[in-house]
Amino acid sequence: MNSPLASVTLFQLGPFAITQAIVTTWAIMVVLVVGAFALTRRLEASPSRRQAALELIVTTIDSQIRDTTGANPAPYRGFIGTLFLFILVANWSSLIPGVEPPTAKLETDAALAILVFLSVIWFGISAGGVGGWLKSFAAPNPVMIPLNMLESVTRVFSMFVRLFGNVMSGVFVIGIVASLAGLLVPIPLMALDLLTGLVQAYIFAVLAMVFITATVEDGKSEPPSPTNEDI
Amino acid sequence: MSIDFWGLGLQAVNVLILVWLLSRVFWRPVSAAIANRQKAATALIADGKDKQGKAEAALAEATRARDGIAQERTAALDAARAEAEAATKAALEQARTKADTLLVAAKTTIDKTTEAARKANATEATGLALTIAADLLGRMASPAVQSGFLSHLIAAIGKMPEGDRAALVDDPAGIEIVTALDAGEKGAAERKKIVQAVHKALGGTPDLRFVTDQDLIAGLELRSPHFVLRNSWQADLAQITKAVKDAA
Repeated sequence: MNSPLASVTLFQLGPFAITQAIVTTWAIMVVLVVGAFALTRRLEASPSRRQAALELIVTTIDSQIRDTTGANPAPYRGFIGTLFLFILVANWSSLIPGVEPPTAKLETDAALAILVFLSVIWFGISAGGVGGWLKSFAAPNPVMIPLNMLESVTRVFSMFVRLFGNVMSGVFVIGIVASLAGLLVPIPLMALDLLTGLVQAYIFAVLAMVFITATVEDGKSEPPSPTNEDI
Repeated sequence: MSIDFWGLGLQAVNVLILVWLLSRVFWRPVSAAIANRQKAATALIADGKDKQGKAEAALAEATRARDGIAQERTAALDAARAEAEAATKAALEQARTKADTLLVAAKTTIDKTTEAARKANATEATGLALTIAADLLGRMASPAVQSGFLSHLIAAIGKMPEGDRAALVDDPAGIEIVTALDAGEKGAAERKKIVQAVHKALGGTPDLRFVTDQDLIAGLELRSPHFVLRNSWQADLAQITKAVKDAA
């Protein structure tokens, strides 16, 4: 049995070693994009079941963004929703025999964590400018600046490690059990792996949203103190 | 364990490309469809509220119009009732006045008719009474009655002014002594007695002629072309008739 930490290079493309995880990612991208294009070709005012299901996905993600952060979901919908869908489909791709999920590899999870780190900077600067983004490190007071700066790195690192550990361990355990106990025994573990994949996708997306909106909110100018009438 | 940073970068680019693609082929179209339907629903709700507002306004207008119609109807009914009452009162008053007039006219007519009938009855009764009286008096005519009339005649002549008696005596046409009985039936003595009494009463001897007039019933009268001294039951009955007519 190969090490779960090792990546299998399929071919070399310039400096890029094209691993199975990258190819699987491309396949997932093609499936998602083509499927989305096929499903959203004919959207009508009176929705069909297909369109209603699509709208349910979008509405659910919007409501999750709104419930979690209280922010308008429109600016974050594309990034957060895509993160969720990609991680979910990548986690569940382990159900296909012979396919190892891309999220079980360090590079993919690290890339996702780095994208979240960059997106926090991007949305923070977009909302409050560079000053606002820098100001977000001084929340709730300037004493917290070093800790906040350190936290901005460690929190995405923890996301990366959490996702990698959960998915990789699931794949690893299923591989061990399958190699020891036969074909049907890993099925309950695979079902559990489905739940784990869904939960990890949800946690990753929600945490990314929380980090982004925390930076955006901290970077904004101080709201006026509530008066007794407001209270 | 090692990390392939080229692979990491490629995966990051892959995810970024996926974010960009899905934003265009999935998130934006679906959210736009949701927004469009929400907008259409909002427009429908707004249109519905607008129509509801218009309907409520129309209902309020209809209610006001209905109230106005009801008030106009009540006013028209009151006016018609008042007009009808006035017309009824006027017609009643007019009818009462007309009836009173008719009653007064009828009463007047009845009174006149009654009075006329009463007068006619009185006249007829008077005539009948006079006829009966004349008939009865005619049966009562006798020499004693005739003697009484002679006494009355002499007394009446005596009451005449002296001038009248002298003029009557001097009348060249003479004087007629009218009696109810035929002159032939009277005796010469009776005539002589009458002539002597008249001559004595007149204080002269005028020419006296006896004339019979049965209409006198009984009595003696003196007549000349210019003088009449009535002394008979006919004259009495005529006087009574005149008095009754005058009284009526």
